[in-house]
This record gives sequence, structure tokens and C-alpha cells, in this order.
Amino acid sequence: MSDLINVRDLAVGRRLLLANGAEVEIVSNPQDGVWLFVRYCSSPPDPATVGEEEMIFAQDIIEVRP
Amino acid sequence: MTISGTRAYRPGLVDLASGQISREIFVSEDIYAQEQECVFARSWLFVGHESQIPNPGDFFVSRMGEESVILCRSRAGNVHVFLNSCRHRGMKVCRYDDGNTVVFTCPYHGWSYSTDGALVGVPYFREAYRTELDRSKMGLIEVAQLYSYKGSIWASWDPAAPPFLEYLGEFRRFLDLILDGWDGREGQAELLGGVQKWIIPCNWKFPAENFSGDTYHNISHRSVDLVGAGPSGRSRRDYSELNVARKLHVALPDRGHQTITYVLPKDHEPQPAYQNSPEVAEYFRHCEEERRKRPGINGRMIGAPGEIFPNTALLPRQPRTLAVWHPVSAHQTEVWRFFFVDRDAPRVVKNFLRDYYIRYSGPAGMTEQDDMENWSYAHAASRGVIARRHPYTYQMGMGHAVENYEWDGLKLPGRVIDLTRAVASEEPMRNLYHRWAQFMEANSWDELMTWRNQANAPGNAQAAQ
Repeated sequence: MSDLINVRDLAVGRRLLLANGAEVEIVSNPQDGVWLFVRYCSSPPDPATVGEEEMIFAQDIIEVRP
Repeated sequence: MTISGTRAYRPGLVDLASGQISREIFVSEDIYAQEQECVFARSWLFVGHESQIPNPGDFFVSRMGEESVILCRSRAGNVHVFLNSCRHRGMKVCRYDDGNTVVFTCPYHGWSYSTDGALVGVPYFREAYRTELDRSKMGLIEVAQLYSYKGSIWASWDPAAPPFLEYLGEFRRFLDLILDGWDGREGQAELLGGVQKWIIPCNWKFPAENFSGDTYHNISHRSVDLVGAGPSGRSRRDYSELNVARKLHVALPDRGHQTITYVLPKDHEPQPAYQNSPEVAEYFRHCEEERRKRPGINGRMIGAPGEIFPNTALLPRQPRTLAVWHPVSAHQTEVWRFFFVDRDAPRVVKNFLRDYYIRYSGPAGMTEQDDMENWSYAHAASRGVIARRHPYTYQMGMGHAVENYEWDGLKLPGRVIDLTRAVASEEPMRNLYHRWAQFMEANSWDELMTWRNQANAPGNAQAAQ
């Protein structure tokens, strides 16, 4: 069983940890297996982005929060 | 006839004075390659219908010439047509036939585009590109011009092409016969089901000239007439009113569009039709009555096969379809056939027409099979070195077309040949190839908009207004 995260399986509202240490919440999933629309919940490298929405790349996700 | 440079189309390859056209224009791969630039990159091309993309995010992958394009409605509700090719390495960003999406994501490296074409996702934009890539200049490549006419969507890559309605000219009234409701109300057509797509082993101009108005090949469809595939169970179609109509070829020389059309006498009453289904018969009887009450001339015209230059064929009635002859190679054509019905027609009428359309047209349609056999065998038999020495002949009806045609108070544009007694002519084909040769020879649209030059001539400026 692969440990890779299949972003197509991730529902709106799930929280994710990104490679840069930021935690985000999914606001929309285009189901393309590559991108997710998220909102920043915390962002140690750039606190100013908290609350902002952005597209994130599947390979930047390192963990799906329980 | 031989090719001697790009300026040899008239009279070398397309000799309309003698009515001879070289087989080279159908089988030469060099000419085919030049067509992509001179004809398809310049013309207005049909890409789809608004009923295919009613909601924000809806898309339909279409074609323009050889190239895949995405017809989509953005999240803001605007219609766009984009080249289906990533700006990074050219991969198709959409590999589905149709659907609804938020973004088009390239599966190769992951570049992602919004439905308005903007590049919104670049993997490792900060790390690998160091934010130095100007994403605002890397959106999907969009057509130069786009026009939605009564729901039908047309596009051109050429910013110098005239606006769509000017390109269409007076042929608009014939396109209206497909896009307006059967009862004459404007823009009532909707697409019925999906689009039928298939490949024929012939050059795209074989079907284009056939649909320009080849009434001479009716013998090919005699088997279908014998079967009685028509909606009333007789013949191929259900055209009893043709017995009193004038049968005409209409060709617009400065545009390259041409068609067969039938004109009914004034005060003509609707005839019984669709007798195999009383509900369908009643629907069309009502529509025919309503159509005759509306102002304008289309109440007296019956649509028939025609061609909008270069590769969109119309068949406004029985079956009611648009077909696009997409070039694949000099020797292959991919046909896309779109079927239409009145949006407000009862379900029983739509189902009846669906069955008839499929029986008639498309890869399984009896009439289309006859045509495909002719085109594919004619193409194959024209490729050999001996065959290529001998041009086709297009002499039928030469010198018999008239301008300012009028019958029973109804005037028609362009050059007209009355087929009521003559049965057939090759005026539409000569018109198609005359325009084709102009496109192949012209350096730009300035040379192709001959009507503007005429309008600007001394003494004509006021008339043009």
C-alpha cells in the first residue's frame, strides 16, 4: 500500500500539513489529482498568508491531519 | 496540370474557365499543409453550440482545423475558446470530450489554467522559478475572434478576419433555417444528444463539395429511397411540398458559401407530413402554420444541404444537422455531426427525430454510408500517378447562373441556378473552389474582402451604406 496521498480523495474541510510547515484547510477540490484550493490556517514561514486562499500542489502536501 | 509554386491555383489547378480542377488539390500533401495556414487559420470555423455549455465551468473539447480547442464557459459565465495545449511543453490540458471543471490541469508537469484561460498554478513557482516567471503572459492561447450567433459558436484565429456576420454575408438566412425554431421563432435550436464523430479515408473537400449542393448524386441514395427511411415511411425525406416549390442553387461568390434551397409559392398551405406518428405530424403542422405567419422570407424557404466556407455543412431539415469536416491529413477527414431539435418540442417529437436522424446520418446512417463510400473510393482512385494527370470536370451548368434572381416576389442573393427543370448544376462546387483558390493565393484578408473594395469604389460607397 502506497503512502502517497491521493488528493482526489480529500474532502472539503480536511486540514493538511505542507512541506513548508504551513497548515491549510481545503476549500475546494477540482478532482484533477494535482491541485487543491486551500485556506491558510497557520503559516510559520509567512504569517501574513493566514486566512488567504491559494492553490496548492499535490507534491507539497506531507500529511493529512486526522 | 502541375504545381508550380504557391501562385498556381488559378488557372493552373482550379481552372474555372474550362471547368477543370486538378486532382492534386485533393491528394497532394504539400497543398494540404498549405491549406492549414491559408484556409483554416484564417476562416471562421464552427466550434459548438451554447446548449453544450449552459453552466459556468462547462466545457466541450472541439477542433479548429487539425487542432484541438476547448470551448468553455468561465466561472464568470463568459464563453471562451482556447487552444488545448499547455504553454509549457504543449501537452493537452484537457483530454475529456466534455464536462465541468474549475481548472484545466496539464498532466505532464502540472501547470493549471482557470476556465478564463489564466495560468493559476505553476508547481514550484517560488522554488524552481524563483517567482521570475510572468504567469500573466502564459495563459492558454485564445482565439482572436469569437462570435455566438443564435447559440451557435464560431471562432477564428485571424484578428484581421471580418466580423462573423460580415463573413457570413447574406448566407445568414440559410443558417437561420437551422438555428431558428421550426415555427420561425429566433434561436430555438438545441443540440440533441452527443456529437457523432468518425473518420473517413478521403480529403475534407470531398464532403465539403458534396454538401455544397450535389444534387447529381441522388442515384447513390436510391437504395435508401427504396427502403423508405423517411419520416413518413416513404423515400429518404418527407418533402411533398417540393412538388410546387422552385428548386435552386444559391452561391455567394465573394464569400464561398453555397446551398440548395427550395422556395414555396406565396400563400402555400402546409402539407401532411410525418404520417407515421400523429403527435409528430400535429407538432410540425402547427409549426408550419406559425412559421408562415411570421414576417420575413424564411417562411417560404425550405432548407437543404449547403456549405459555409470552408468546412461547415448545414442540413436545415430532415435531418436537421451541422457537420464539420475536420482535416486530419490529405487523405483523412474526421467528421463531427451535430443534431438539432426545437428546444421546446415535446419529448415524443425529440425521440422520433433522434431515431430518424440516426437512421439517416452519421456513421451508421444509411445515406451517410452511401456518401462515405463514394468519397473514400473516389479519393483512393485519384492518388495514383496516372489518375493525377487527369483533372475532374465541373462543367455542368456553366454560364447559366443568374444574379438578382426573383420568383413569385421573393428575391435571393448571389448567383442562382434554377434546378426545377435542370435537376442539377455544378455552380456550387465551382463557387467553393473559386473561393478556396482565393484563400490559397491571398497574402491576407485585405485581398479576400473583395466586397469592401467594391463598396469603397467611387459611386458605390453610398450604396454600401
